Formats: sequence, C-alpha cells, structure tokens
Amino acid sequence: MDNNIRQQLNEYIIAHQEDFYRLAFSYVKNRDAALDVVQESIVRALSKSDSLRQPEYLKTWFYRILLNESMNHYRRSKRLVPLEESVADGPAPASDPAERLDLYAAIDRLDPKEQAIIKLRFFEDMKLEEIAHITGTNLNTVKSRLYKSLRKLRDLTGEEVTT
Amino acid sequence: MKDLWEEARQQYRNTDTPPELEFAVASALRAGEKKRRQHRGLRRSLSAGLAACACFVLLVNVNPTFAQAVADVPVLGDLARVFTVTQYTVEDRDHLIDVRLPALDLAGDTDLEQRVNTEISTRIDQVLQEAEDRARDTREAYVATGGDPDDFMPIIISVDYEIKCQNDRYLSFVITKTETLASAYTEYYTYNIDLQAGREITLRDLLGPDYKEIANSVISAEIDRRSQDPDNLYFLQGEGGFESIADDQSFYLDADGTPVVFFEKYEIAPGYMGTQEFRIPLPETK
Repeated sequence: MDNNIRQQLNEYIIAHQEDFYRLAFSYVKNRDAALDVVQESIVRALSKSDSLRQPEYLKTWFYRILLNESMNHYRRSKRLVPLEESVADGPAPASDPAERLDLYAAIDRLDPKEQAIIKLRFFEDMKLEEIAHITGTNLNTVKSRLYKSLRKLRDLTGEEVTT
Repeated sequence: MKDLWEEARQQYRNTDTPPELEFAVASALRAGEKKRRQHRGLRRSLSAGLAACACFVLLVNVNPTFAQAVADVPVLGDLARVFTVTQYTVEDRDHLIDVRLPALDLAGDTDLEQRVNTEISTRIDQVLQEAEDRARDTREAYVATGGDPDDFMPIIISVDYEIKCQNDRYLSFVITKTETLASAYTEYYTYNIDLQAGREITLRDLLGPDYKEIANSVISAEIDRRSQDPDNLYFLQGEGGFESIADDQSFYLDADGTPVVFFEKYEIAPGYMGTQEFRIPLPETK
C-alpha cells in the first residue's frame, strides 16, 4: 500500500513538473532559483512521503510543500533586494492614476500569501477547499483573503477585476 | 473582466520551462527516495538498539540473581570474551555496507570494558561515515563526468573483526575495514588487552624499554631475508622504506602471545606485496 502511494506521488510529480516550475518561478523570478525550489520540494516531499497516507491528499500535500519552499525562497531573496528596488516596491503606486499596472504585474505587488491564493485559484484552477488545505487555513480565511486581494488588485490596476 | 484574467493567465502560462527541468526533477526524485530510506534505516536501528539496552538494564535491575548470573557466566574458562554486538547490512545505489561490530565483555573490569567498547564504536562510526561520504563523492564524480548512473558499481564497505589471541592472560583482536571500489583497500585497528593487569598492553610492556631497538633490528633483518626473493621489493630506506616502528605501532598477539608488528599495504612496500607482518620474539627472561 505504501509503495502504491509513493508510485502515485512519483507519477504525479513527473506529470506536473511544469506547473510546479511555473509557480516557483512566479515567486522567485529566476530560472536557477526556480529549479532549486522545485528540486528542494521534491526531495523534501519524498523523504517525508512515509507520512502521506491518503492518496486523495497527494496534490494538496505536495503543493503545500512547494508553496512553503517558494515563499521561503522569496522572502530570503527579498531581503537581498537593492535599495532602489525596494523603495519602488513601497507604498501604493496605485494612488497615482497615471501609473496603472496590468493585472499580471499587479499580482506581484500582493503579499506572498495573497499571491498564493490568486495564483492557485485563477492560474491553477483550484477549488477554494483545496486552497484552504494547501495554505493550512480554513475556508473562511481563504475567502476573505481572496476578496481582500481582489480589492487590492482593483486599486492597483484601476479596473474592475472581480470575476 | 474575463479577458483581463485570461490575459494574466496567458502571461503566467507563458513562463518558459527550461530543458534542465526534467533532469532536475528526476534527480530530485532519486535523492528524495534515498533520503527517505536513510531516515527509516536509522530509525529502525536506533529503536532496535534501544530496545536491546532497555531489556538488559531492566533485567539487571529487577533481578539480582540475573545480575549475578551474568557476572558468573563461565565462558569456557575464559576471563573475557569478544562478542558481536551489531551486525547489519545496508544496501543502496552508492554502497553495500556490511558490518559485524565486536564489543568486549570483561568479567571484572567494567571500566576497561567500557573504555574499549566506546572507543571501538566511535571509531567505527567515524570510519563508516567517512566511507559513505567517499562513496557518494565517487558516485557524483562518476555521474558528473558523463558516466551512466545505472552502470555505477556500488562501493563495498565491510567491517569485521578477527580474534588473534585469547587466553587467560591476553586478549588481542584486530578490526578490519575494507573498502572495495575497483581494488580493495583495508585498514586495520588493533586491540590488545592484558586481562590480569586490566589494561591495554603496549610493545614496551612486552619487549621492555628497548622495544623499539629490538623490534627494529628484527624487522630490518627480516626485510633483508625476504628481499632475497626477487619478487619482494621493499621500499629503500630514505625513499619511504622502513626506518623505525612508530610510537603507536600497530601490532597484535598471535596465538602464542608473541607480538606481531604489521604494516599496512603501501606503508613500507609496494601495494602488490600486501600487508607486511613481523613476529617479534619475546625476550628470554619473560
């Protein structure tokens, strides 16, 4: 039975490696760093695979590891960002109507947890229940974070982004 | 609004995945699987070891008769015995490890027993760790230089011991560690114990204060004698050849209790000649 789950995990990882890479890349914005994140997540997942008992949680279980790994990397690299960039990153540029961002660029301005919800929901087409499982929160938290993120995106882009 | 999201989704999907991704994923899968096994192996051996210890301590504490019985075990009239405490085999892609680890059971002297046993286990742990690191490095180098990982021959590491002398007075045993890559290389660790004095013996104890001179002259003469055979080519003096035994020279006692000094492969002669052993007769007075 154990072997069966591990087999499934292996196949799942191989089949979805490009999704993993894209999600990692969207955080770290660097090819090598994204590869590192994917590799590190896989090693971590496999070495802990004895704790995975129910195959139906395989996807959310792996995404949780991948997301943690991506966010850790993101936070670490944030600390090393040069001063000019981090200043530019600062207080809401959205207040300046002349400088609207497109939606994709605006997502990068959200904090990492809000980004996660937006990306998983709209780019990976996940259900809110799945997202709750991945982020280790409950459904209500996911919902309220989602609406808050959408409001922020609206302010950043100046467009009505609610779907 | 839909178009807005559709556009963003396109941008997200357009992230190029590099050609290295597939390889990176495959190697991470292997590394992860290996790590998982290591965790499990470790946990299993730890708990087995703990269980055995716990059992023993419990019995000794609970039952004074048992404690006495353990102390009184007459091991065929011997004052001490060497027994195997750990025996295990590890097998994975990089190496095959085979270990038979001895420990000492001295009837009276628990201090000495403990000291020797701790020394043995720390030394072997360290040796195994080094060997495993080396095996991993070798494999990585092999793969990095274009070797097919499936063709890699695991490195064989084996730890074993041999009792050389066991009588009322002396106990002498040698632990060997052999690493086989393309050719085998063995290291030796010797333990010589004077059971009556309750301590480890040195060459000085056996041969007297002039032990170095005595041993050196015996060894030099023996090298000369063996060199009569044209197949035996010892390194010359000054070119890595034998000069003198070391302060902590390796030796063991043979069945008669006579010290046998030995040199590892390559130490004083070319590798093909193997380890070199020299029996040093005890002085008449002893």
